Amino acid sequence: MIDPTFLLELLIASIIAGFIGALTGLGGATVLVPIYTLFLAIPIAYATGASLISTIATSSGAASAYIKDRITNVRIGMSLEIATTAGAIIGSLIAHIVYEDHLEFILFIIFGIVILSSLYPQIEKASLELPRNMKPDWSTRLFQLYGKYYDATLRQIVEYQGVRWWLGEIVMFFAGMVSGLLGIGSGALKVVGMDWAMNLPLKVSTTTSNFMIGVTAATSSSLYWIFGYIEPVLAGVTAIGVLIGSYLGSKALVRIRNVRLRLIFIAILLFLGIDMIIRGVTLWI
Amino acid sequence: MDLNDVIGYALRIGVIISVILIIIGFILLIPNPKFSELESPHSRFNTSVIKPEQVLYGSFKGNGLDLILLGLMVLIATPVLRVILGVIQFTLEKNKIYTVITIIVLFNLLLAIFIIPLIVK
Repeated sequence: MIDPTFLLELLIASIIAGFIGALTGLGGATVLVPIYTLFLAIPIAYATGASLISTIATSSGAASAYIKDRITNVRIGMSLEIATTAGAIIGSLIAHIVYEDHLEFILFIIFGIVILSSLYPQIEKASLELPRNMKPDWSTRLFQLYGKYYDATLRQIVEYQGVRWWLGEIVMFFAGMVSGLLGIGSGALKVVGMDWAMNLPLKVSTTTSNFMIGVTAATSSSLYWIFGYIEPVLAGVTAIGVLIGSYLGSKALVRIRNVRLRLIFIAILLFLGIDMIIRGVTLWI
Repeated sequence: MDLNDVIGYALRIGVIISVILIIIGFILLIPNPKFSELESPHSRFNTSVIKPEQVLYGSFKGNGLDLILLGLMVLIATPVLRVILGVIQFTLEKNKIYTVITIIVLFNLLLAIFIIPLIVK
């Protein structure tokens, strides 16, 4: 017998995750994996496999909208993908070892820590709409880390210059590794890398991150495919649900001011991060 | 219409094709008695037991599960296509450093898709 309730639960959970993911630049998975594992009792390997697939859907589905908005910086995104894809390969291989040895509790705890650690830079800068001006360095020119976009809420054209490409690249390697390890787009860390390390405006960071997570997740998910962490029915429902959610989220993004965006960000992360750590410790003991 | 628009549309079309395949797959799969087993969160069936050529063959024969899998494969392929289009874009713009950067990204992706599976298996 088919259980339509369970399918419906999956669909609703993934729509919510997709909405929040697109809105924050986190990628749906950061919200999806906790919901699936904590509330729907799905094994973490399948939850992460499905969420990787959904992350690609979010990214590719929203990309055309963002390119039209001209906020996404494709150059900066691409240059950082070198590090994220390399990190994703390493992370996926580590994840495989962890599952083979049944050490899933580690992933819950790391998941929680990753979520919570992305809180600090958000709180610190929460009052600022735009980044402080910083002097361009050698990497600004070499890697063409500049751009401008029209901010619909501030009603002005924002020009920006990114700095410290190398620092961004280091953060991105870890972002990629975490993505492969936890099956998430690792959007939070990517936003940290661009927003904190490279001093880019939050809207550029979130949209560019959303553009990047697809390529990172494709790297991880092709390895997850081989390892057998993708359950097709689960992944299929999740992909569709997250797509619906992310479509709605991308519509809402352009209308919300940055400060409010950060507050939504913080509240959700806090809750899910703590829950994941508690689950991990429970499994451990 | 510049290349950015082409890339945007290519991604969107890729996602639409993938979603259509997945939805058709579900419609064909739901009446199948095997479905409840597949739908279980603890299902043993997963991608490690699948051969890509079987997916293609099964999809043409109207096998729901294979159509879902094909949809997932198309979805994974969209970012790869995006990077390939990126290489073309930067080449046309004569942006040398970014052409090289994008080729490195493509290399990493192809490494994960084709080469590492051979080593791991």
